[in-house]
Amino acid sequence: MKKRILGLFSDFDQAIAVVVGIRQYEVPGVTVDDITIKSPIEHPEIEEILGERSSHVPKFALSGALFGLIFGAFFLAAAQANFLVQPQGGKPVITITSNLVLIYEMLILFGVLSTFIGFLIGGRFMRKRTALDDEKINLDQVGIVVEVEEGNADPLRDLFRKHKVLEIRDRELEE
Amino acid sequence: MSIVRNFIQDWSRYRKGIEDGGFHEYEHMWGMVIDLDKCTGCNACSVACYAENNLAVVGEDYFAHGQAMHWMRIERYWDEPNLGDKASKDTQEHGASFMPMMCQQCNAATCEPVCPVAAAYHTPDGLNAQIYNRCIGSRYCANNCPYRLRYFNFYSYYETSWPSPLDMQLNPDITVRDKGVMEKCTFCVQRIRTAKSDAKMDDRKIQDGDIKTACQQTCPTSAIVFGDLMDHESDVHLLWHKHQTKLGTPKQDKKNPELRGYRLYEQLNTEPSVTYLERVREV
Amino acid sequence: MAEHTAATKDIDEKIAWAKINADVLRSMQNPRKGYWVALAFCVGLLSIGIYAEVHQYDIGMGPSNLNNPHMWDLYISTFVFWIGMSHSGTLLSAILHIFHADWRKPIYRFAEAMTTFSLLTALLFPIIHLGRVWNMHWVVPYLSDRGIWPNFRSPLVWDAFAITTYLTASVLFLYIGMIPDLAICRDNVKGWRRKLYTFMSVGWRGDDRQWRNFRKTYLLMACFLIPLAVSVHSIVAADFAMAIMPGWHVTSFPPYFVAGALYSGCAGIISLFVLLRYFFKFEQYMTLPILDKTCRLTFAIAMVWTYLNLIEFASVWYGHDVTSKEVLLAKFFGPYSPFFLTMLFFGMILPFALIVPKIRHNMPLIFIVSILLNIGMWLERYMIVAPTLSLAYHPWTWGVMWPSWVEWGIVIGSIGWFGLLFLIFVKVFPSVSMYEVKEMVYHRRRVVFDDAEERVMKPSRQEGS
Repeated sequence: MKKRILGLFSDFDQAIAVVVGIRQYEVPGVTVDDITIKSPIEHPEIEEILGERSSHVPKFALSGALFGLIFGAFFLAAAQANFLVQPQGGKPVITITSNLVLIYEMLILFGVLSTFIGFLIGGRFMRKRTALDDEKINLDQVGIVVEVEEGNADPLRDLFRKHKVLEIRDRELEE
Repeated sequence: MSIVRNFIQDWSRYRKGIEDGGFHEYEHMWGMVIDLDKCTGCNACSVACYAENNLAVVGEDYFAHGQAMHWMRIERYWDEPNLGDKASKDTQEHGASFMPMMCQQCNAATCEPVCPVAAAYHTPDGLNAQIYNRCIGSRYCANNCPYRLRYFNFYSYYETSWPSPLDMQLNPDITVRDKGVMEKCTFCVQRIRTAKSDAKMDDRKIQDGDIKTACQQTCPTSAIVFGDLMDHESDVHLLWHKHQTKLGTPKQDKKNPELRGYRLYEQLNTEPSVTYLERVREV
Repeated sequence: MAEHTAATKDIDEKIAWAKINADVLRSMQNPRKGYWVALAFCVGLLSIGIYAEVHQYDIGMGPSNLNNPHMWDLYISTFVFWIGMSHSGTLLSAILHIFHADWRKPIYRFAEAMTTFSLLTALLFPIIHLGRVWNMHWVVPYLSDRGIWPNFRSPLVWDAFAITTYLTASVLFLYIGMIPDLAICRDNVKGWRRKLYTFMSVGWRGDDRQWRNFRKTYLLMACFLIPLAVSVHSIVAADFAMAIMPGWHVTSFPPYFVAGALYSGCAGIISLFVLLRYFFKFEQYMTLPILDKTCRLTFAIAMVWTYLNLIEFASVWYGHDVTSKEVLLAKFFGPYSPFFLTMLFFGMILPFALIVPKIRHNMPLIFIVSILLNIGMWLERYMIVAPTLSLAYHPWTWGVMWPSWVEWGIVIGSIGWFGLLFLIFVKVFPSVSMYEVKEMVYHRRRVVFDDAEERVMKPSRQEGS
């Protein structure tokens, strides 16, 4: 039976110390990969302790931008080539230089949209909130959520308490 | 797939600019010569244009605001630098200089590429056409016209311009324009169309003199000559040739006093199709 | 001691986080009487604009006094002005974000809002200036039965593309940066606001996965936005630079326009900074050192703009294109000279006031200076558009035109529209970024207690090696 346990900390250094403790295997059966940190602010240094965790947003950005580039180039040239009654002004039908301007804009437009979609997907947004989400996390407290087996819950609670946890909450995972 | 084929096969054709002859293969190249030496500034051409092209008569107030619609306008210039101190500002012994101005039908028109909706475009006849239905009235073309020859319908002029029964005199061959649309001289495109279809019915080619623009027809001194520049027998071509004006090159022997031909603002490389013959003056 | 701290530190790092939340949330609630007066004033201005536009829509472009050579005039110059204003948020937010200048944090939110709303205002002008507004969608490339496309060579189509892209990107940038704050709002309000914030915060939980993606996204958006902002104003400059007209056909216009945009945007930030600081009592967040930095930045940009202005004159002068030279001389000595000289004074001389600390710290004075700078920048755009229309190649069409009440009414209406949007924004959304002020406080404190951090971090580092 797996469980998620949330500990709320007001002191950020203590929270970091908990993560460090788990990293040093102070709780049996729990590794750093089981930890989720909930924080009111962005903590690049905590993420360092959590180790490499990937984010796919740059891939989304790159593919969106590439799509914009290729689609833009082809779309504009094709539209011009099939619309011959165009104002010429002595200029060729397919004007590469002026199309470059629009391709540039389309690259950014699709890049931005794709980044945003990647963000919504990658950040696991639009899910129902649970008991482990607390308003205080958005105020000034750090929450550490750890996924543990039932038997390892107590050592974890002890670790939390050692580092002056304010509140501990459990939530059973439905299998 | 036809799109792709069209696109790949014609790539090099589509990439041709005016330096290489452009994409169009012209059937005709309508051009004009205006002899300023013959022009008396009588404004008959302008009146004829109003009648032929359903130009709105805007009235004194709007005219004073610069909102008039004279596609063909006679410009008067009073100052004459080569007279030096003798020239007075308002009147002078030779009278004013006149400049009949209408759309120069540029081959590298500055108005065309700036139109956001492709309402200004170039016909295979070498005309610089304006599609009224497509125009959204951004007025960029008029801003980018060095000759300032494009006129905008600032109001629904037709409502007041032709009180009944004057509306009976409107030319049925062309439209009456509503507010928000740019318009300009078309070289009487309705006459060109009629002449072309007549020639087709008779199974012959268009001859020089088949088409007369309204201004040309009305000019009492025959100062305006109109025709096909690609027809090497036409009057207009002969006059262009005689005065060494040529599409695609601004070069000319400017020192020869016999050569009076010039095109307006040739240095801008707009390639206008109208040659003016300079007025000869005794100084 | 306390005063000394207040004068030298960007922010007091001992400020309690709960107080940050409370202060910002307070600013969003209970509008006072003054707010309603301001709102009514903006609605009044806007209704002048709407009245003028309806009149113009009804009977044509004529009442605006536009005439044959003067086809654009105030509409397009004000369009360029508002596009310029919209560059503020991008500069403060995106560029300073990439350079890790954390003093941007308390003031970037309203700057970004300014970006979005100026764009929404600017967007109106190309639409209003069309003779046939009802056909404006023809500028958008869509598949049509008749195989008709817009003309992709036209700088106006570039404008349409650029503004769409910029609006999308800046709205998303503003929104993404606001998500953590919206979550805070969600937790603290009731009623329709709760529904709105719950919807808009898309389930922000603040876990490390979200923060990680958030950081990457925000950085990427900033990276997209900077070249985009530069390109947007270059394209607006291309409206003029691509034309053949003397005074418009200037190679240095794109950088000149971008500099001018950043300049007026920064001046706008200073104006709004002073207003928000005063009305919302944000003295603890919008501190004087931050104002100092913004002023110095504005001054630097003003000098870039001055330089570009001068080299434009120089290149026209020594380029010896007769017509361009005539237009330049006419700006100095012709009928437009009062406007032109005022613009030169406001744009080039007045920014020196920004480097005087006494002026900077005098709130009413700096407010007036920033407004005057923006009037100067508006005049700059007017002086780009109008003299060339009045004096181009063809002497027969030379003349001066004075805009009618319709044009002025629409310009005034645009100010009301911007004000209205902004006033609604500050009451519905947090105008100071709560989470980023917390970050700023947190990181600044950690620098103070650096060794303490070192002590905690040590075990993990050893383990890592």
